[in-house]
Amino acid sequence: MRILRINMNGETPVARFEEMGDYEGLGGRALTSAIVSKEVDPLCHPLSSDNKLVIAAGLLAGTVSAMSGRVSVGCKSPLTGGIKEANAGGQAGQVMGRLGIAAIVLEGKPRGDDVYKVYINKDTVKIEKDNSLKLLPNYDLIEKMKKEFGEKIVCISIGPAGEMKLAGASVAVTDKELRPTRHAGRGGVGAVMGAKGVKVIVLDDSGTSPRQPKNVEAFKEANKLFVEGLQKHPVTGQGLPAYGTNVLTNIINEVGAYPTYNFKEGRFAGARKISGEVEAELEKQRGGNPTHNCQRGCVIRCSGIYHDKDGHYLTKQPEYETVWALGGNCGIDDLDKIAMMDFLCDNYGLDTIEMGATIGVAMEAGVLKFGDADGAINLLHEIGKGSYLGRIIGNGAAYTGRAFGVERVPVVKGQALPAYDPRAVQGIGVTYATSTMGADHTAGYTIALNILKTGGYVDPLKTEGQVELSRNLQIATAFIDSTGMCLFIAFALLDQPDTNKALLDLINAFYGWNMTDKDVVEYGKKVLNFERDFNARAGFTKEHDRLPRFFYKEPIPPHNVVFMVKDEELDQLYNW
Amino acid sequence: MKVVIRLFGGLKSEKDFPKNEEGDIIFEFSEPFTVCQLIDSLGLNKTPYIVVLNGVIINEFSLPLRDADEVSLFPPIAGGAW
Repeated sequence: MRILRINMNGETPVARFEEMGDYEGLGGRALTSAIVSKEVDPLCHPLSSDNKLVIAAGLLAGTVSAMSGRVSVGCKSPLTGGIKEANAGGQAGQVMGRLGIAAIVLEGKPRGDDVYKVYINKDTVKIEKDNSLKLLPNYDLIEKMKKEFGEKIVCISIGPAGEMKLAGASVAVTDKELRPTRHAGRGGVGAVMGAKGVKVIVLDDSGTSPRQPKNVEAFKEANKLFVEGLQKHPVTGQGLPAYGTNVLTNIINEVGAYPTYNFKEGRFAGARKISGEVEAELEKQRGGNPTHNCQRGCVIRCSGIYHDKDGHYLTKQPEYETVWALGGNCGIDDLDKIAMMDFLCDNYGLDTIEMGATIGVAMEAGVLKFGDADGAINLLHEIGKGSYLGRIIGNGAAYTGRAFGVERVPVVKGQALPAYDPRAVQGIGVTYATSTMGADHTAGYTIALNILKTGGYVDPLKTEGQVELSRNLQIATAFIDSTGMCLFIAFALLDQPDTNKALLDLINAFYGWNMTDKDVVEYGKKVLNFERDFNARAGFTKEHDRLPRFFYKEPIPPHNVVFMVKDEELDQLYNW
Repeated sequence: MKVVIRLFGGLKSEKDFPKNEEGDIIFEFSEPFTVCQLIDSLGLNKTPYIVVLNGVIINEFSLPLRDADEVSLFPPIAGGAW
């Protein structure tokens, strides 16, 4: 595996391959965070030539291992000002692996406002100016790429939002059906790609073969056990394939942790209308599909395909986060309108979590009313148009809160909170406050134990055990994010020690390593250390590891609780 | 005494209980009656894994039910194997 560096400075961008060197043994988030923390000036402007955009495949990318094709996108975030790793499914990870590319590093910045397309196959890297692609929405862009390069490609791209360098802009990755539906959403990574003038990276792995493990038999056996483990666990084997992530709507709502009307309440009256159960049924009725994998090699199949009421493709099955952000948080209970907004975010290249939280803030500001689905759709179109209102919304919740003088702005380190209220689930509040990523639920998904009873139970309404829980999950997640595995394997890993062993055996068989559980912990800590170090040098202090004041003061119904974990406890999380 | 029962995630009752407008089961009982007895009486197609009583996850199914309680039941699709 090698690193492909693409320098956008000068008259002609230059691509060169280099050996892993000091980055040997790193993949996915470990690789993006190592490169960013080592090579990016933490005081640089995120849109400057000093920032880098690192797109990294995981440790097992391009092998026949199940679940191994996620991709990490890292940089200094234009949204948080700290280090960022955004993570996406889709086909890119596997294809990069088969092409022998551990990471693509975009460096520098073109002088003018030309946009470039990059084409990579097993023999060549071509970087070409192509201004006919300017401001194309992602779906239209992909159609053009298909005509030019055929249908055996994968595209990593930005929509108009990234070209406009908005802090809510995502990087899109095409799925198995060659649709731009999987996004590295959080933290404005799309804006950095836009600042570097790269509109699309087209990858073609024709003529390549899967990467071969050092120990073929052990690898095959471990993969078999790993897959069996995923299939037998109720979450990965039944719940997620049947209902997708949106299975969470009802349970989070029932326990009063569903942030509603911009984090004012913990339950939404319309929640059941937009639940995963209803969504799956609707998809089946309309000829869509509730059981679908976004990448080859995934055996969980949490994704799906959503058709409109006339039976035509509309968008991929909206995820729980999207349905919450653009639905319940905004008081919207119409799945079709939410699905349309999901499509618009995919097309314009926007983080659905940030956009939903932002529209919620705009509703609180009176820009439109809570529940106004058509108004919300229009706001997304404003972003696509590049209007001044669109540029406000497209820059996220904090920016919009500032523009309209709103006090209740749910962000940490400038990034909007996801779909769990930290007052009703104290553990996730710890993750939101302390994660190097800003308010991020996947970074240390305490919901698994606070609510879902996977791997144990920690009472969500008490402060006891939450810091330790968040710490352990943050460490484990940093490791999983580096393998290129989908984080949802964690449900099975938490409950089934033999599945956990199978994962280690997979990695060890591939690389000829002897990793133990202890090594996993050290690996995860190493990644978090890269990130903490970068953030400290970027000017972050413990004062940034806090939730917004209103979470400490405003009790949330129905439980009428505030966030209670003490600052001193939060400050202990990274003491190892 | 009456409690409201909500079934999620594909959980269904094989018995015919009266329902309210939202489709929730209205379950009548006389005290004392525990959560465990309730689950046994519902004739469910799957064993519930997560039990939420008035918005709070409970781990003790010997808790007594009270009038107007709301019970939400989820199968193991949203939880683990322990």
